[in-house]
Amino acid sequence: MSAVLPRPALHRRKAWGSALARHRGALVALAVFLVLFCGVNLLSGSFTYFQVSFIASGGAALALAAVGQTFVVLTGGFDLSAGAVVSLVNVVLGAGMGTSAGSQLLFGLVALGIGGAVGAVNGVLVAYLRMQPIVVTLATMFIVQGITLLVADKPGGAIAPEFVAALTGDAVPGWLPAPVVVVAAAALVWWLARNTRFGVSLYAVGSDEDAAFAAGVATRWAKLRAYVMAGLFYGAAGAFVSAQTGSADPLVGRAMLLEIFAAVALGGTALGGGRGGAMGSIIGAYTLMIAVNVLLVLNVPAFYSSVAEGALLILAVLGGSAGRRSPLAAHVRLALLALEARRTGTSAARHRSPPARPRLPDAPRRTSEAAPPGWVARNRKTLAYVLPAYAGLALVLLATQALFGNTLTNPGFFNALVVLSSFLAILALGQGTVILTGGLDLSLPWVITLVGIVVAGSVRGSDAAALWAVPLGLALGTAVGALNGLGIVLFGLPPIVMTLAMNGILQGAALVYSGGTPDGFASPGMRWIMTGHIGGLTPVVVVVGAFAAVATLLLGSTLFGRRVYAVGNSPLAARFSGVGVGATLMGAYALSGFCAALVGILLASFSGQASLGMGDEYLLPSIAAVVVGGSLITGGRGHYLGMLGGVLLLTALSTLLSGTMLPHAVRDIVFGLVVLGAVLALRD
Amino acid sequence: MKTSTLAGAALASLPFIAGAAGLGHAQEPAKDKAKVFLSMSYIGNDWQAEATNMIKAMAASPDVASRIDLDVQVAGANAQKQIQQINAMVQAGAKAILVYPISPTALNQVVKNACSKGVMVIAYDAQITEPCAYNVSMDQEEAGRVTAEWLVKVLGGKGNIVAVTGVPGTSVDTLRTKAAKEVFAKSPGIKIVAEAPGMWSQAVARTELSKILATQSWDRIDGLWMQVGCFTADQMQLESGIAEDKLKPCAGEGSNGGRVQMLPKGTPVEGANGAYKPMAAPRISYASPPYSGAYALRLVVDKLSGKDVPLKTVLPLPIVTNDTVKLCKTGTWQEMSEGCNVFQPAVVSNPGWFASIFSAGTPEVGLKAALSAEPEKLR
Repeated sequence: MSAVLPRPALHRRKAWGSALARHRGALVALAVFLVLFCGVNLLSGSFTYFQVSFIASGGAALALAAVGQTFVVLTGGFDLSAGAVVSLVNVVLGAGMGTSAGSQLLFGLVALGIGGAVGAVNGVLVAYLRMQPIVVTLATMFIVQGITLLVADKPGGAIAPEFVAALTGDAVPGWLPAPVVVVAAAALVWWLARNTRFGVSLYAVGSDEDAAFAAGVATRWAKLRAYVMAGLFYGAAGAFVSAQTGSADPLVGRAMLLEIFAAVALGGTALGGGRGGAMGSIIGAYTLMIAVNVLLVLNVPAFYSSVAEGALLILAVLGGSAGRRSPLAAHVRLALLALEARRTGTSAARHRSPPARPRLPDAPRRTSEAAPPGWVARNRKTLAYVLPAYAGLALVLLATQALFGNTLTNPGFFNALVVLSSFLAILALGQGTVILTGGLDLSLPWVITLVGIVVAGSVRGSDAAALWAVPLGLALGTAVGALNGLGIVLFGLPPIVMTLAMNGILQGAALVYSGGTPDGFASPGMRWIMTGHIGGLTPVVVVVGAFAAVATLLLGSTLFGRRVYAVGNSPLAARFSGVGVGATLMGAYALSGFCAALVGILLASFSGQASLGMGDEYLLPSIAAVVVGGSLITGGRGHYLGMLGGVLLLTALSTLLSGTMLPHAVRDIVFGLVVLGAVLALRD
Repeated sequence: MKTSTLAGAALASLPFIAGAAGLGHAQEPAKDKAKVFLSMSYIGNDWQAEATNMIKAMAASPDVASRIDLDVQVAGANAQKQIQQINAMVQAGAKAILVYPISPTALNQVVKNACSKGVMVIAYDAQITEPCAYNVSMDQEEAGRVTAEWLVKVLGGKGNIVAVTGVPGTSVDTLRTKAAKEVFAKSPGIKIVAEAPGMWSQAVARTELSKILATQSWDRIDGLWMQVGCFTADQMQLESGIAEDKLKPCAGEGSNGGRVQMLPKGTPVEGANGAYKPMAAPRISYASPPYSGAYALRLVVDKLSGKDVPLKTVLPLPIVTNDTVKLCKTGTWQEMSEGCNVFQPAVVSNPGWFASIFSAGTPEVGLKAALSAEPEKLR
């Protein structure tokens, strides 16, 4: 997973050598897992059948879901509906399963059916309607969550004991735990699928969809099947969770989502597609789960547990990339070369030649009849992906007017809308820039919280203190973001792993800094910005306007902006064109850290104080707003004004839903449907 | 080269194992003390951190410290991890496991297994439905009913109200909200004009209320029923120019900020700031009390010393109204036992901090326990 650039094939290795190379990610993950597993067992002094059985059962649900996600990720997709499907299957089984053998078998099949059906919907929308995977699966995630809450609004229900025993008991008492059989079956399905035409087409589509299509691969059919397979595995994971817990809980799958992605990344599958495999994901899942045992054996203090988990995640991946070909080794080699060149006076910088100025042929003379293409014609492509969000916004506003009246003519409504949008509008620039480079920043929640706590704690209600504390907070966020970039560039860590680990580390930092009780509060000046009035206008509205102008210029008209797009389109092409890819990536993550820090300060100003966990609500919306605004999750395409439109659309929609008396579950479903509709209606 | 990467992987994991070996020897527990674990689901919010502080203080109080060794572990929000964690604790020789369960049902199988090995499993605040588990919590339905009845009475059975609930899909939220709605349904004059999930967070409550106010205005709202957020709701009313004596009645909220607002206007407090000041706000205050974990640990010690402990402990509903609110001077357990229930803003500078920390059954923990995990000094 470390080597982003393809390796030069200087000589043919023997067959087993190349097989080893292909499965390197999975093998490394396996090595890390075995070391941890043996370590835990040695230290806790017990290596028994029960121990093995517990660990096999503990990680099985995550492993099954991670295998499913791997199918999608290999095609270059992204499936956010995984956790929601697990929850839905769990509550359906909890509500419906009887005690007869027939009913248990039936509901086992229902579990797979639900997963397959959701997967098929995702697959058709992604493959045949060519919608972005992240938008589609985000929308289905909300819809499935809503349906789950309609089936069961609180935990309860019971799973038949025989079903529990069949999946989590013993296959051969004393020798073979049933979960081992379940996971082995999943691995077998993967192995069979991988060695068919379908398996090959997965990798082909993920590597280069156009090339695969040109080579005669049925790319759409392959993608559809990938989502269906993924859904089937989530269904299986849901069935396993049901057996493991013996009952149902509508929220059981939600917290699994990020861990599923972490397991896939840890197992060596590259986001963006084309490389990796499900064996690695299974091992990745077990590695994540055994972290719990490691923390217990090490007696890690509570406040530091997320730090230790983050460190473990980074070390596990770093262990995999260690060696002569690791990005770090490459950077060191390059730095040594540069030093050598400087010493001997052979560096290119010492021998400046006048820049080449090729003479361009004269522009063809414009015939007088044809008018120059208008602004609309020149920006047609950009408009095509920016406008849907605004069209959706207009519809939502009209609906609000129809439902409540007093909206379109009420400046107070628009003022409130912009104030509520301000957090996401700012986050969208940071997350959007990172997404444009082809990455993802999962550290936002705790950058927001940590900076909010540090700034509120330093300000303590004094405007004078705010003058130095606010810049300090912004610098802190920027530094954290740059650190994310450094890990990604220098050590070649996958962005999801690096930023997820950073999120855990920052959570620990916030807990330790505040001792669990954040104190201090925003100054009157800070509060005025978020809640004061200048002639009916809240000051932050002006800030958002200025921010949007600067952000549009930054991405659209600066060197940095150009480089971001270049890196997103192809890091390799960008590097050959003389773009400093590493510096640009670090800049993008630092910008994201800065934006998150700004939001932390604004949130503390809005509420008057900072509280632990206040950033948790903003991670998924920040990604959603960016992609609803037309950006491509795989990078290279997007416009800040589109993202802003996405932010306004999502905020207006949730404002509209808040004003209604619809039950929460129905609101989730409506939210998902509207997001789908907005993107579907005006897709390119 | 391949072997070198594998070796690299092994090397990278070595520090953990080496560190573990060192730690393992350094912290060899005394043989005569019972091993007790605390399994927390999630630690990243104010309530959890405060409850942990109180548990740690209880564990550090001389009587408890002489009998047990407490090891605090955090599993995170994923139920799968908590299942694995509890299993690992049983394997590690736990005599008792204190649990903040992420789900009332997901842990049933693992808890049953722990019980069968003679381990006492006790859940605080949230419940575990497995019959062999001990539970320490309050009656959520009663909380929803009592607060709703108060609001109906204050409004004279007539008016528009806004409901801000907790985390949808949890038992606590469903029970509270359902009980409250049953009360409201009995008074035809009461109309719920808007409802939003507040996720038990002041920050979310503010965002959701702002969304509601974008389409409704304060003059169309007569009262609020919230699980968390009355402090914020009053702050927002002041910002929008509503006079202090015209604040809408609000049911809910056990935070110190909310209780300071309930004190009669002009009560001398230190460190008042912005909306964090006495203003005689009409309010009924309740919240899940953060002392429940410390109380559960007390029960563990009782049980391990051979006393009988009931499987189900229902904590008294910690209700405070404008008539019963009383400022503490120092916040010792002794002083709280005489009826004070709100603390100086200068001492508790975070208004969102939960103030229901008094229990007659836990003389080991007072204000210092909740703030900095220090037990009370015994006289």
